[in-house]
Amino acid sequence: MLEWGALAAFLAAAVRVGTPLALAALGEAVAERSGVINIGIEGSLIAGALGGALGALAYDSAAMGVLVGAGAGLAVGVVFAFFAVVLNVDQIIAGTAATVGGLGFTGAIYQARFGATGTQLSLPTLAPVRVPLLADLPVIGGAFFEQAWTVYLAYLLAPALAWWLFRTEWGLELRAVGEEPDAAAAAGVRVRWTRFRATAFGAALAGVAGAHLALASAGTFSEGMSAGRGFIAIAVVVLGRWHPLGVLVASLFFGAATALQFVLQARGLAVSYQLVLALPYLLTLAALAGWVGRARAPAALARPWPETES
Amino acid sequence: MSRRMRVRMAGWGAVSALALAAGCVGGGDGGHGTADRSEGAPLRVALLTAGPVSDAGWYAGAYEGLLALRDTFGAEISHQQTRTPGEYDEAFFSYASAGYDLIFAHGFEYQDAAIRAGERFPDVTIVVSAGGRVSDNVVPLIFQLEEGSYLAGMVAGAFTRTGRVGMVGGVKIPPAEGTWLAFEAGARAERPDVAATVTWIGSWDDVAAAKEAALALIEQGADVIIHNTDAASFGVFQAVREARERGREVWALGMNRDQNAVAPDVILGSAVIRIAEAFVEITREWRAGRVGGAPYFAGYGNGVVDFVPNPEQIDAYPPDLLQHLDAARRGLADGSLEIPRVRFVEGAGG
Repeated sequence: MLEWGALAAFLAAAVRVGTPLALAALGEAVAERSGVINIGIEGSLIAGALGGALGALAYDSAAMGVLVGAGAGLAVGVVFAFFAVVLNVDQIIAGTAATVGGLGFTGAIYQARFGATGTQLSLPTLAPVRVPLLADLPVIGGAFFEQAWTVYLAYLLAPALAWWLFRTEWGLELRAVGEEPDAAAAAGVRVRWTRFRATAFGAALAGVAGAHLALASAGTFSEGMSAGRGFIAIAVVVLGRWHPLGVLVASLFFGAATALQFVLQARGLAVSYQLVLALPYLLTLAALAGWVGRARAPAALARPWPETES
Repeated sequence: MSRRMRVRMAGWGAVSALALAAGCVGGGDGGHGTADRSEGAPLRVALLTAGPVSDAGWYAGAYEGLLALRDTFGAEISHQQTRTPGEYDEAFFSYASAGYDLIFAHGFEYQDAAIRAGERFPDVTIVVSAGGRVSDNVVPLIFQLEEGSYLAGMVAGAFTRTGRVGMVGGVKIPPAEGTWLAFEAGARAERPDVAATVTWIGSWDDVAAAKEAALALIEQGADVIIHNTDAASFGVFQAVREARERGREVWALGMNRDQNAVAPDVILGSAVIRIAEAFVEITREWRAGRVGGAPYFAGYGNGVVDFVPNPEQIDAYPPDLLQHLDAARRGLADGSLEIPRVRFVEGAGG
């Protein structure tokens, strides 16, 4: 049975695994609310990881690494948005190109900089920061409030984005663009500009997620270290029902499932780890099918604007 | 460029353009129509990897092997990293039809595509590292890494204080499972009551997942942790390093390539495959016409597999452990030491 100490360790692992998902998924949720599905955030994530590593090395500061990582993720996102939003290229195709391109370019840059056969970098890492008082709570204190500051960024962004999307005029405009872009345009909202900014914001957050991966989780960069988290983040957005608070909870749930299968295997329990890993995806499918509350995508999601007559 | 060539280029141009963008290294220009086997014609060798060669491990070793073939035989070389199984056939096709003589496909996952390509291009020889299928021109190159892993297990068994050791594995495929069973047996040989646990993370490159898996093993009391992954190994070393910073006496072991210099502060030693030497040796045999129709085994006996202690930590080794390791090496060389092996080559009992 799980003792308290083991439970705290498990929760801490769940938060660590869930945080890059949360950061990427919060950004993706904003982009999707504006009608843009950016499957290129995998490319932004890996660019953010490399940017984070290079920035941290260059400035000998993990915080600067996070900043450079955000910039790298943003750069990939701007390329995507130029094709998907400005040129109205199919969003899935543009996103695939951003992902493949991001993985390829980061590999080429890494090998050019650190040699073809690679090495483990010693990066300045994002050390855990104790939040006074909260970190002293039993069991959950250490797990939730003794983490890298990028984790707290995710905690704070979720309610901030929820307020921004649902309580401000800008948020209303953004959602209008994602639901009824024609009506929004008629009301004077700049549809493409809104989508461009939302996508760029999301990509920058994916870059932060990548930097967190390199600087808080791994302590190094390695090729392909994003390992599909961008795609998982897209599933997280669905399970979180396009609501920032839901997205935060959903990403912690995905993190918990991953952490759980490591704990089960480390205890030598003969449980099918694939099944444990599949659990959040089954729930995501259930959410899409409408069995877990109401999950409805923004009406204009993945639809170009203005739509060409056909 | 001939007209036929241009047509073909148009056909797979889109895919190879992506592959190029995804990290194609090397000197192949893909412009020749057929293989030139006349005396003195340069040997043309290609390498396929399913992951980045910057992993400081399994794929990095293969890339070094490719460079060794260039330096030893003056071979023209080319490397391509395939991203998805859908690219395997395309990659074989592009190299075989461009007149490459030898294709090293570095991984179990290539075996079926290799057989298909071998049937279609009888003039090319394909060497599949850890492959399980044989034909006249498709040769599995079986690294008996379980021998190095067994020796690493002995080191783990000697060093553990808690009596618990662990492995972080990539994907549970037969060659990886073989290294795990041998590691466990080696640890038992040195300390019969040892408890050994393996965690499979389902990926070879996911550094963060490997780190979490290693932390979970450490949380359960494991104090010597080996891996069998590629780039994800960095996560294992990082987890061990952080645990040491928290005051736990934990050690890591490297695998596939000599990783002692990757994290000299935490690695006791590495179970190594000298992949470059195996590539050179099999190429020499191939030139002599002795390769084809049967798997090629490379283990401790022919100097390819071994365990290499980290020179920075060798002082911590108990003297009798070094003696036990030497005895085990002799047993591996003369075949008197039985260790667990997972046999996966069809019809070869290998």
